[in-house]
Amino acid sequence: MSALPANVLPAESKPAPRRAPERGRWLRPAPEPGRRAKPTLAYAIIAVAGVAAIVVAQLLLSIAITQGAYDIDHAQMQQTKLDRQEQQLREDLDRVESPQYLAANAEALGMVPNASPVLLKLSDGSVSGDPTPARAGAEASGPLVPNALIDGVPLVTEEPAGETPKKQAKGGGERAAAGAAGAAGSGGAQTPEDPAAPPVSDGLPTPATH
Amino acid sequence: MKRTTRHPMRRIIVSAVLLVVLVGVFVVKLVDIQVVRASALNAQSQDARSTPVKVWGARGDIVDANGTVLADSVMRYDIVVSPKQAKLAVVERVASASGDTTKEVDLTTEELVAGLTPAAAELAPVVGLTTDQVVGIITSKLAENPDSDFAFIAKQVDTATYDAVKALEIAWVYPEEHPSRTYPNGAVGGNLLGFVQADDGTPLAGLELAQDQCLAGTDGEVSYLHSASDWVPIPGTEIVQKQAKDGGTLKLTIDADLQFFVQRVLEEQRRATGADWATATVMEVKTGRLLAVADVPTVDPNDPSATDADDRGSRTFTAPFEPGSTFKAITAASVLDAGKATPLDQIVAPYKYYPSNGADINDSAFHEDERLTLTGVLIESSNTGMSKFGERLTDRQRYDDMKKFHLGEQTEVGFPNEETGDLHGDPDEWDNQTKYATMFGQGLTTTAVQIASAYQTIANGGVRMPVQLVDGCTTPDGETTAPPSKGERVISEKAADETSQMLERVYAEGWLADTWNIPGYRVAAKTGTAQFADGNGGYRSGYLVSVSGFAPADDPEFVVSVSINNPVKMNSSAASAPVFQKVMSQVLKKYRTVPSGAPAPDLPATW
Repeated sequence: MSALPANVLPAESKPAPRRAPERGRWLRPAPEPGRRAKPTLAYAIIAVAGVAAIVVAQLLLSIAITQGAYDIDHAQMQQTKLDRQEQQLREDLDRVESPQYLAANAEALGMVPNASPVLLKLSDGSVSGDPTPARAGAEASGPLVPNALIDGVPLVTEEPAGETPKKQAKGGGERAAAGAAGAAGSGGAQTPEDPAAPPVSDGLPTPATH
Repeated sequence: MKRTTRHPMRRIIVSAVLLVVLVGVFVVKLVDIQVVRASALNAQSQDARSTPVKVWGARGDIVDANGTVLADSVMRYDIVVSPKQAKLAVVERVASASGDTTKEVDLTTEELVAGLTPAAAELAPVVGLTTDQVVGIITSKLAENPDSDFAFIAKQVDTATYDAVKALEIAWVYPEEHPSRTYPNGAVGGNLLGFVQADDGTPLAGLELAQDQCLAGTDGEVSYLHSASDWVPIPGTEIVQKQAKDGGTLKLTIDADLQFFVQRVLEEQRRATGADWATATVMEVKTGRLLAVADVPTVDPNDPSATDADDRGSRTFTAPFEPGSTFKAITAASVLDAGKATPLDQIVAPYKYYPSNGADINDSAFHEDERLTLTGVLIESSNTGMSKFGERLTDRQRYDDMKKFHLGEQTEVGFPNEETGDLHGDPDEWDNQTKYATMFGQGLTTTAVQIASAYQTIANGGVRMPVQLVDGCTTPDGETTAPPSKGERVISEKAADETSQMLERVYAEGWLADTWNIPGYRVAAKTGTAQFADGNGGYRSGYLVSVSGFAPADDPEFVVSVSINNPVKMNSSAASAPVFQKVMSQVLKKYRTVPSGAPAPDLPATW
């Protein structure tokens, strides 16, 4: 009997001392913020470092872009210069390609147009027309169909051996660098013909006939 | 209690309202700046910080049928000085020489000239002026306006000069880009191409003018921020204010090589015969395309001022004349088409013929009465014989046929100042003499290209093709305009073929048969010797001599028409025949035309 109340009593008295420690436990986690402060600092450092990295990266990027702008500008300047050179060379080429220049050169080499063509008809072997040699002494074509652009451009026959008319065409040789670049440029375009073109001093070019 | 609680509420409300109003004001301002006035403000800020730069839209090229460039846009440069900066440079030099940079220096004119001379002496030979001229340009500008910042030293110099000027490194001299036009083939087709004004590129004549819509480019403008010291553009700041647009490429039907040949032959003959001017036209029979249109004297568009102003156009299109006997082929074709005659119909052609209406017709040289067929009339080029055939049609019928040949109106080419020719008004207005004169090509005018077109019609079995000089315009985007290519029937095929056969007899039996002989080919041709109006209602003493014809006559491919005006040393169509012969030979040779087979059919000329 006594045991039961005894059991009961401590049971009844238990809640009071238990409440006190419970309150104590409730308050106990208070120090925890101290432990959490450590990761926050790390985060802050990471964040600040990240921002700094971004700033630096952006700075580097913009430096790179600006550097790129200078490179582009430089390249564009070079392109402009090369464009100018290309245009100059093309104009020279146009000049010497003009029919007036070709005709004047042909005449300088003693060629005359033949105004009386003769036709051989393969089907029956008949020849129409009188084979007459072209008459020399035809009027020089120069003044007949003028071209102000080729004034002063020397003819093939007036050029030193080994020179191509293109290089000489327009008072060349003013700028050594440009001349060299021009020669390289035109050389590229001319490659297929260059080896075949005989020097003028060796006489007239002879076509290969088949 | 209530008061104390109400007070904070009120404060909250008041401050909230204030906040909202404030934010509202900001928002309104923000929208105003960022949206409403955004573009204006942006432009203002751009203007303040950046410089607009002009971007040239290149004028399109003119190329021939094979792509040979006849007119080309190139970059040229204007050499500009800043007189103000030039003076400042001298002032600085004088100041630093005197050792007193603080004091303001007042230059006398002599000092200024002396200061400018060294640089001017360097610059002058490069731009082709004298030192005094360069100094003069600067000092006179300064005399006008002491703050003058701009004066031209030279215009339109080429790249070599540009480089030379740059190499001098004179701070107050700088080149400005200025596109220009060159014509690499010089006078080849010069009268067709026309030219542009040298300093501003305004098209002045020819196709440059007529096809400006195709050729003209549109200049654009960009602006960008740049670094202060070296003008390097800051990335991402470029703003295209206006897109530059290049002009289109104009492709002609002309063949530059043939054009050169024709011009050369024609000019040689013009000089040999002492003629005022001459034209020659080569036209493709089956398409109406003009392969060569030569006008001499020829203008070199690189230097138009070297040629008389009258000679700078294309007389093929702009000079109407009385065609004379070449027109008899057209009258004969009309008569045949109406079924009023055959090539072998017979008449008696007297030296003088007085028709019942009172007209008075005579041939160019006295002859006894001749018993001619229509073919014979063409061979002898008899005015009286032609009148006897022509009167078988009414005037109205002949006039309608002329209209069907597109005489009296511009061709499809639409060349600047192209003439229509004049059919002497309406047949109702023709007087009795004109009624007959129009049968043999007098009393009415045509242009050379109209005659070529009429012969094309006869050669093409009676179907006239539109005259084409421009093959098309290709824009930079690759769009191409195509010219019309639909023909129209003018006379029946039978009439055209019969006319062609008669013209073959003219070629074979006419008085120039030896001069214009082209071995291996059948050719049809007719000469003309016409009087030329002197502009005062009378006729000039000289003649306009012409030959028009086509070959090969059995399958016509090419029309060649030559007119030479007033060849004083040889006043007959014998002057134009050699040109016809050379040009036609070259055309047949160039285009590898197959020689004719069977000989021309024989048509008796007399009876």
